Order: sequence, then C-alpha cells, then structure tokens
Amino acid sequence: MNEQFRVSQKLGLMFKPGDNIPKDIRSWALSQLHEKSPAMGIKSVSRVGNSVVTSEVTNWPKHLQPDLRERAKRWRIYRAFNKLARKENKSNAEKQRNRQENQFGEIDALKFSHRNVYGNDQLRVRFLTFWTNHFTMGNIHDNQNVIGHAMDEAILANLNNNFSEMLFKVTSHPAMLIYLDNIWSAGENSKHARWCNIKPDCQAGLNDNLGRELLELHTVSPAANYTEDDIRNSAKVLAGWGTHLEETLKKMREQGKTTNHWDYFKKNYAEPGKKMVMGQKISPGKRGLRQLTDFLANHEHTIKHISTKLCQHFVSDYPEQSDINQIAKAWRDSDGNLDKIHTKVIELAIKSKEPKFQWPMTWIYQVVRLSGASYFHGWDQVYNWYDNGIMRNKEVFEELGQSFWATRQPNGYSSKKEEWLSGEMFERRIRFASAIYMGGETQVSTDKIMDRISANNATRKLVDSVGMNEESRFIALMCSAELMGLENA
Amino acid sequence: MHKLNLTRRDFLKTTGASLFLAGVPIPGYTKDKPPGTISVILLEGGMDGLTAVPPFGDPDLLKMRKIISPKNYLKLNSFFGLHPSFRVLGGLFANNQASVVHATSIPYVKRSHFEGQNMMEGGGLSPFSENSGWLGRALDLANTPGRALSLDMPLVLRGHNENDNFYPASIRNSSKLNTKLIEAISMAHAKESADVYSKISNKSKVDVSNIPRDPASLAKYAGKVMSQDEGPLASVIRIPEFDTHARQGADTGKHADLLGIIDDVIAGYREGLGSAWDRSIILTMTEFGRTVAVNGTTGTEHGYGTAGILAGGTIQKSRIITQWPGLSKNDQFERRDLMATIDYWSVCAACIEKALGLDHELIAKKVFLRPNLPRVFDYIFS
Repeated sequence: MNEQFRVSQKLGLMFKPGDNIPKDIRSWALSQLHEKSPAMGIKSVSRVGNSVVTSEVTNWPKHLQPDLRERAKRWRIYRAFNKLARKENKSNAEKQRNRQENQFGEIDALKFSHRNVYGNDQLRVRFLTFWTNHFTMGNIHDNQNVIGHAMDEAILANLNNNFSEMLFKVTSHPAMLIYLDNIWSAGENSKHARWCNIKPDCQAGLNDNLGRELLELHTVSPAANYTEDDIRNSAKVLAGWGTHLEETLKKMREQGKTTNHWDYFKKNYAEPGKKMVMGQKISPGKRGLRQLTDFLANHEHTIKHISTKLCQHFVSDYPEQSDINQIAKAWRDSDGNLDKIHTKVIELAIKSKEPKFQWPMTWIYQVVRLSGASYFHGWDQVYNWYDNGIMRNKEVFEELGQSFWATRQPNGYSSKKEEWLSGEMFERRIRFASAIYMGGETQVSTDKIMDRISANNATRKLVDSVGMNEESRFIALMCSAELMGLENA
Repeated sequence: MHKLNLTRRDFLKTTGASLFLAGVPIPGYTKDKPPGTISVILLEGGMDGLTAVPPFGDPDLLKMRKIISPKNYLKLNSFFGLHPSFRVLGGLFANNQASVVHATSIPYVKRSHFEGQNMMEGGGLSPFSENSGWLGRALDLANTPGRALSLDMPLVLRGHNENDNFYPASIRNSSKLNTKLIEAISMAHAKESADVYSKISNKSKVDVSNIPRDPASLAKYAGKVMSQDEGPLASVIRIPEFDTHARQGADTGKHADLLGIIDDVIAGYREGLGSAWDRSIILTMTEFGRTVAVNGTTGTEHGYGTAGILAGGTIQKSRIITQWPGLSKNDQFERRDLMATIDYWSVCAACIEKALGLDHELIAKKVFLRPNLPRVFDYIFS
C-alpha cells in the first residue's frame, strides 16, 4: 500500500474516490487534528431501478442534534408515557411512536456512521472513537438519549484541549453519571442520607461504581495499587453529582442552583469534609471533583496506562516500550495537552512500519469509503428504512458485534488483535464485503482501488486467483491481510 | 419450561448473552471419548450469591440486607433458601440433580471486573497471566478441540488452535459463502489469520440460520448438539449485567430477572440435552460476589465470596456444599464481603474430572497451574 493509504488506514478511514490525496501525508495527518468537525451526512438514499441514489452530503440538521435540555425533556416524556403504558393499554403503534419521537440512540448512532463515512475529518473521528471507547458509556437506564451528546460535546469538542478537561467533562456528563449509577449516590453523612436513613423505607448512601472505574479504567489503572479506601473516597468526592433526567428543572434549581444537567451537583447528597484519594487531599463541595480529576489526569500511572492504550490502538499490535515511552514523554512535557499527545501518536504510527489490525467498525467504514458505496441510509430514514440491500444502521452495528450504544461492560472493546481473531468475526467481514458490493453500488472497480492504494503483490495475486467475478474480487481485496491491517506492503 | 411474560422477553432480547460450543471429538484423533459433557454459565458483573441462595439461618442476613433479600423463597434446608426466580432449579434440587457451593470464589480479591473476568476465564495464577483459558486447556488435555458459538472467541475456551466459534449471522444481501473464495483468502493470509479463515469453510456447511439469540434458546440449541454422538463436549454461555450497584430488587427486579435467566438457561439445557442430561454437568461462575451490606442506592458493591450453582444428571445427591464463615462484621472478608472458604477452581476441577475423565492431579497442574488444588470431587459427585 502506498504511504498515503497506509497512513489513512492506520490513523484514519481511507480516502474516498474523488478525494484529493495529499502528497505530504505527515503534514496532512497532523493538520487533520485541527480539521473542522461538523457532522456531515445525507438526508436519504433511494433505489432507482438497480441504482442507489443518495441526496447531497451536507450538515446534519440542527433539530436532530438537540442540546441536553431537549434530550432530558424527551426522556421525561418517554418515561412518563411508559409509566402510563404500564397502567393503560397502549397500542404498539403508540409505543413505537413514543420510542421514535423521544429516544436518540438510533439517530446518534447513524450520525456517528455518517461522520465516519462522509466527514472530512477522518483522523479526528478515529480519535473520537478511541476516546469514546476509553470512556465507555453503555445504554442502561435509557442512557442512549445522552451518549451521543457526550461523544460530541465532552470528547470531540475537547480533542484539542487538555486531557484533564476531557476527563472532567466526561466524568461529570450525565451519560457517565447515569451509566455508572452515580446519580443516586449520596455521602453517608450527607443531609439526604441522614434524613432518609431514619425513615423505615428509605435507603441512601454511597455507590462506588463510578469512583472505582474512574481509577481503574479511566485513569491510573490497578497498576497504581490504590486501596478500597481510595475507591470509597473517590466515590465520596463524586457523591451528589448528576441526576436522572426526569428531575424537573424546578427541583434542579432548588437543589443545585442550576438547570444545566451537565453541571448539576446536589449539595444535600454530598459527603461533607475533605477526602484523601491516593494521598491527595480533596476539598469538600462541588469543586472537589475537578481537583480529583485534575490530580488523576496527570498522575504517572494514568500517563503510562493511557499511553499504552493509544500505542496499542494506533501504532502497532505489539507496541514497543520505547514508543509507549515517547507518548508518555509528550504527555509529561505538555502536562497532558492532547494535541501534543495525539501528534506524537501520529508521528509514531507513521514511523512504525508495523501493521495495525482494524476493528470491525473501522474496517467497514474504510471499505465503504474506499469503494464509494452507499451503505448507510439517510437521517430521514432512521425509523422507516427497509431495503433488501442496505441494512438499517442499527442492524449493521448488531451484526458487527460492536456498538457504542449497546449495553456494554465498562472496560470497552479491546484493541488487541487476538480478541478479534475468530472464525465468526472473519466470516462477517466476508459477508459484509459481499453485502456492500451487492447492495451499496460501489463506485470504483476492484482493480481501480488496487491501483489507487498501490496494493501489494500478495493482495493482487489473491484477487487474481479468485477469477473474474467482480464481487469475488471485491471480497478478496477487502478481506486481504493488507486491507484488514494484518500485514504491510 | 415456564412461560415468559412479555416484559421479561423484552429484557432477554436486550441481554447480550452469547453461546460458545467447543470440544468436538475427532474420529481417529481422540482415543477414548470422554464420559460426559461440561457447560459453564459465565455470570459477568459479579453475581450476588447471598441473594441467589440466601442463608436465612444466619441471623445477620436480614439485619444487613433485608431490603434486597427475597421474601418468598424455596427452603433448601434449615439454613439456606433458593431465590424464587429459580423455579426449574428448585425442581432439579428436589430431584437430586442440582447442588449449590456457597461461600466460594475464584482466588481473586481485588474487585475489578476487568481483572476478575480475565482471571475467571484464564484460570491462571493472576489476571492476564494466561493467553489460553482453563476450559480450553482442559479440552486440549482430553484431545477434543472444537468450535464455539459466538461472535468473539472467549478466553475461557482458548487453548487449542483448532477451537473455533460460531454465532448465527443475519446480514442481508450477502451471498452464500463460497468455499473456493474462502480458501483463496485463507491461503493469502499469514498463518495466524489463515487458520481463522480456514475454519469458516467447514462452518458454512452447518445450517444454524434459525437459532434465536436469547439465552434460553441458545442453551437449548447447545444441549441439542451436545447430545449428538459426535457433538461438542463443552459449551459456555455468557450472561452479562450482574453488576447491580443500584436498585437491585429482591423477589423481583433487576437481579431477580437475571437469576431467572440462569434458570431459563438451565431449563434450556435440560430440554436440549434430552437423555444426554444424565452425563452432563452445568456450573455457573462469576468473577466475584457482592458486598454483604446494601449500599446507598439499594444495590451492592463488588465483593468476594459468592455462590456457585451446579446442575446435571451426573449429580447423584443434591447438596449445599459449604464451610459457612458467618456474616457478622468480624467474619467478613475485609469487614465488607462474604468470606470465600472454598476455592472455586477446585469445583471447576471436579467438574472437568467428571465430564472429561481426566485425573485430578493432571487438571490441577496443567489446567489450573496449581499442583496443590484440593480435590472436592466426592463432595459433589458421590
């Protein structure tokens, strides 16, 4: 593969037919860190005879990208209807309408696919993907309404910021506070717990789920040898943060003096007093969380843990310690400046000639982009799409076995190649390559793609060995070791 | 099997359970066919053994966890009860075909899902120390490689490179797999990935297009194929979401629903296995138990000791196998968790011994890498 495509495979999502292919790939890759990132996509696709016609690529409409307040409002409506539906006999059509009008998971998931397929910011989208996986926020308690918001506003919006900013914004985002149960947690000595625990049927106290994962998964990792006390104290710092989105704005004003769901701290749930987490003194009250995340963000163990993950995800399936050390050094030298860290990751990924195996979701976007196929429906079609050739976006994710909107375990998807080497996973690649070819109307021939990317001899030999059937040739190319990121040119 | 109501079905649908089948005897390769089959139900997230099998004889139980303990339970003996979600299991218990191991755990005390799950599947001396899984290594020793039914290859079955996986795909408009094409792709890959591709051609001959994906159906399917003469000897079903930090429920609710899924899975196996039930053993395992005390959000935190559930026709007498440590603060592990007094690896070892006919010493040394692992076989199977 030529250098341009090798780099865009490792760090990006491949160049589409008609894209200008940059001569200086390194400068291009670095400039991508500052590329604008509007959500681009298409309104609809349609089938005219045997052809697939897509509407023009343009910005996603505002009304499908609502702010948190609107999302919370829809959540309240959704939940209220469900409560009513349990008592009254609601028709399936009414239930379906409730889901479609008030839930955002499927819309946000399609937007993510569109970002991957139609965006001009392929490297940013890959970093967005990495961090979204690092900060896993699965769909429980109807969390799907806000996961997409956290991806856009807490992660993507902070890609050029300091890691400590991203960490704080993600940790305090409703999607995380809901997913890891923090919204109900109350300090044992909080006003709320003391009031509640004298009543017979009231239960209030600490929930350490987020406090634990903040240390274990998001920052220092178990290598830091923190104790159960550190976990509990971290949970005490977090107690009071967040709300289930059914809370009325009136109550939010009373309890947290705000109507902003992303900045909501319930004073009467907070644990009074200072806390010690891993030897660091944390102030009481709302400002404690920022102190804690700032402390953790630049902790030596956080630097080591996340530098290793970045290296494993972008640089090599078997990362070299010296590469990890260089990312860690960039982190230390810049106090966690993500631009500097990502720059180092990009430089090392380009420098390293090691192949990097690509996740199923990344691979499918790369196949779609390389071939110019139309394999994702439009935003007008989220709930009314059925086509024999192009599956619904939701179904694609289900069959891939990878989705940010599924009920997931908090440790996210592994970047280790071994976790994905299975007959079934490989079979799905063959099937998806076939489905994309059959249903998506590819724009360029397999031979043309091979010329564009300068496919290596082994790949050309493979494609030629399967005969003249264009579908077989397409599948062979997309499932070759080279295109899966298993081998290099 | 009891009828499921609608909400329950919806719940099952959203639960990402998966099934893995492994250990298909190869004619001419496997000398003596092992005597039985082994099925493992992996309960991810940390199952609350004190709710599944509540020790009502312990005066501290209701003091500490009244709000999450079931009120209607099946009395197993004067000390232990069985959660009402276990309808099928209760019947098996009464018929001497199920047992419980209580106050047990794998030897992992650091309460991380990530590490604990790796250890539960790897079976090594510490998390991430092994690249193969304990069941995979056991199947290797029994010379019975096979395939798994799932999207990914779970660590627990990794071992023999012939092990493979399967999970029914539903990708519209993809052509029927072409064996020649797969062979060509396989040949063009380096060994590691070529091996994976080469398995697909065998698989494409099996028709599994109509298996529903809910846990009970997967178990029934697993039981059915395991009952066949050349069928797999081992299966693994993974049920996620036991991590009930909030609103755990008691007789009903989130944790009760999850226990109901275990019951459905056991019922599915029972039905699918048919007469092969008599040579089967099914066991649950989880990465850790949950705290004795209820937390502030009517849930429980990550703990240590828990319960293991065993079922199958190889059990002769239903028992509760335990050295009960007590629930008072001083009896708890680190003054918060149920103490584990039985190493769950020894329970797994006994099940392997029964199903695959291997010697305990060999299992202890080669599968669990612990030559001194106690043998508890007679407590379970006599």
